[in-house]
Amino acid sequence: MPQPTATLAAPLARPLVSLRTRRLLAGYAYLVPAALCLLATVVFPILKAIHMSLYNHILIKPQEYRFIGLGNYLRLVQDEVFWLSLWNSGVWVFGSVLLQFLGGFAAALLLHQAFQGRALVRTVTLLPWVVPGVVVALVWEFLYQPNYGLINDVLFRLGWLHERVAWLSDPGLAMPAVIATNVWRGVPFFAIMLLAGLQAIPGDLYEAARVDGASVVGRFRHVTLPLLRPIIVVATATRIIWTFNYADLIFVMTNGGPANATQITSTYTLVKAYSDLDFGYAATLSVVLLVIMLTFTIGYLRVTRGVESVG
Amino acid sequence: MRGRQVGAPPGSARGRLDLAERILGGPVLWGGLALLTAFAMGPFVWVLLSSFKTRGELYATPLVYLPQALQFANYVDAWTSSLTPFSRFFANSLWVSSVTMVATTVVSILAGYALARFRFVGRDVFLLVFLATQMFPAVLLIAPLLSQWYALGLIDTYQALIYSNFSFTVPFTVWMLVGYFESIPRELEESAMIDGCGRFRALVRVILPLAAPGIAATAIFAFVSSWSELLFAITFTSQTEMRTLSAGLLYMVGQYEIQWGQLSAGIMISTVPVAALFIFLQRHLIHGLTAGALKG
Repeated sequence: MPQPTATLAAPLARPLVSLRTRRLLAGYAYLVPAALCLLATVVFPILKAIHMSLYNHILIKPQEYRFIGLGNYLRLVQDEVFWLSLWNSGVWVFGSVLLQFLGGFAAALLLHQAFQGRALVRTVTLLPWVVPGVVVALVWEFLYQPNYGLINDVLFRLGWLHERVAWLSDPGLAMPAVIATNVWRGVPFFAIMLLAGLQAIPGDLYEAARVDGASVVGRFRHVTLPLLRPIIVVATATRIIWTFNYADLIFVMTNGGPANATQITSTYTLVKAYSDLDFGYAATLSVVLLVIMLTFTIGYLRVTRGVESVG
Repeated sequence: MRGRQVGAPPGSARGRLDLAERILGGPVLWGGLALLTAFAMGPFVWVLLSSFKTRGELYATPLVYLPQALQFANYVDAWTSSLTPFSRFFANSLWVSSVTMVATTVVSILAGYALARFRFVGRDVFLLVFLATQMFPAVLLIAPLLSQWYALGLIDTYQALIYSNFSFTVPFTVWMLVGYFESIPRELEESAMIDGCGRFRALVRVILPLAAPGIAATAIFAFVSSWSELLFAITFTSQTEMRTLSAGLLYMVGQYEIQWGQLSAGIMISTVPVAALFIFLQRHLIHGLTAGALKG
């Protein structure tokens, strides 16, 4: 065995930046692109919106541009349409999510069964979800058309209607009509989520319940529902927030009308910005929406965290 | 509905297949499936049929259900129209959606990996921000973004649309990929790094191939949601040649009288690509979306 040569231990050169710091910087470096995207497209615009809400800023009246402090907010508080839009938002969200949930649950239960062509039916069921919102709105606008729409025609032939109904022009019918369209669009979401939940329930639990003498209803109530609870909560909370924000459908189908019957807060903001070009007021509405959304988000986190800690 | 099961008469509890199950498994199942399929497909079938009808057939009373012949005039008119050129709209949508998809995927792979693997100050804040921004509506950003893009001279450009799309694609895809990367064991890239690989190369060589399904799901999501995007598309473009399919469809409706034949053709042109994409890749998309929800 060769003699080990004596070495003089020499200290390693210390790098300028320690390894830990380099690791930290590397971590941040990976985040820079995403952070830049969010800064430029979300954070900065939100700050700008807050700034804009303090000014009287109507695009077509540049001569009237001036700082008005909380003037826009005062106007908001006294704005009847704003309060109406909050109520409409509530109706829109409640009606849509409830019916989407029920429809989606029914669909999930159906798709959970084993049958020929199941994959095909499942794919077909999902189509309303993948399709662009503007397409959904236009398709249903066509269906609701009083004179050459399919819905009036079918109801006529069935004898349920005796005169042409203008679904989207009638203040009393417009909201139910757009909710129906939103339900059509949203059922696939719940169907997929609930189906995934159903498929995650082990078959043995059903067998055990059956051996204990539980009927179909009993098994559903005591096995299916409790185990689905987490996913029901998450899916519903997500959907509520999403529906509250969803302006595309109503914007295309009714533009908030007739007479603000379908004006929800998000479409009202859009109308102010896009049609009235009243940027100051639109920004004010945006800030209010932001506060509402932050409240919802905190609520969502509380609710879903509670769900994860159970079971 | 759930009520269906409650209404079934109780059968013998210990029988192989009690009466309730036989009723549910047979006519109720098939009836339900038929209803479901009609519900989901019905409106599309109607629009498809309408796209082949002539003007006379579309506005006839009583309503004509099936077109006499499969005539493609509506499609040709829509595609080549000078007022609403769907060929141009299609190209614009394709470009904007593709670039958004590629850029979002790259950005979110980096960010998702960092948030999944590195422990550092502010990590939780970042995660929270990515979650919270998913909850923000586009309407919130319309006014300030419009003024921002206008000041930068980016109105009627692809860039305004692509950058604006990041506001909703990046948060969601980062969120999805964080969960996905977390499910891949650290040991895999650590063993690669012990063998002398740098961390970035370990990410590319070892992790990415494994994470391919999740990454595919996020890419598809970014593409489909950009394709569907409406509000930014109508607000940031004013010239006809720069409109995407969504904006073009809406522009078509804004004209005097709605030409339902051409509009139906336009709707099919806008829908078939994403529907086809979805049909081929649905397994990955669903898996990616539900994996997060079913964690734990």
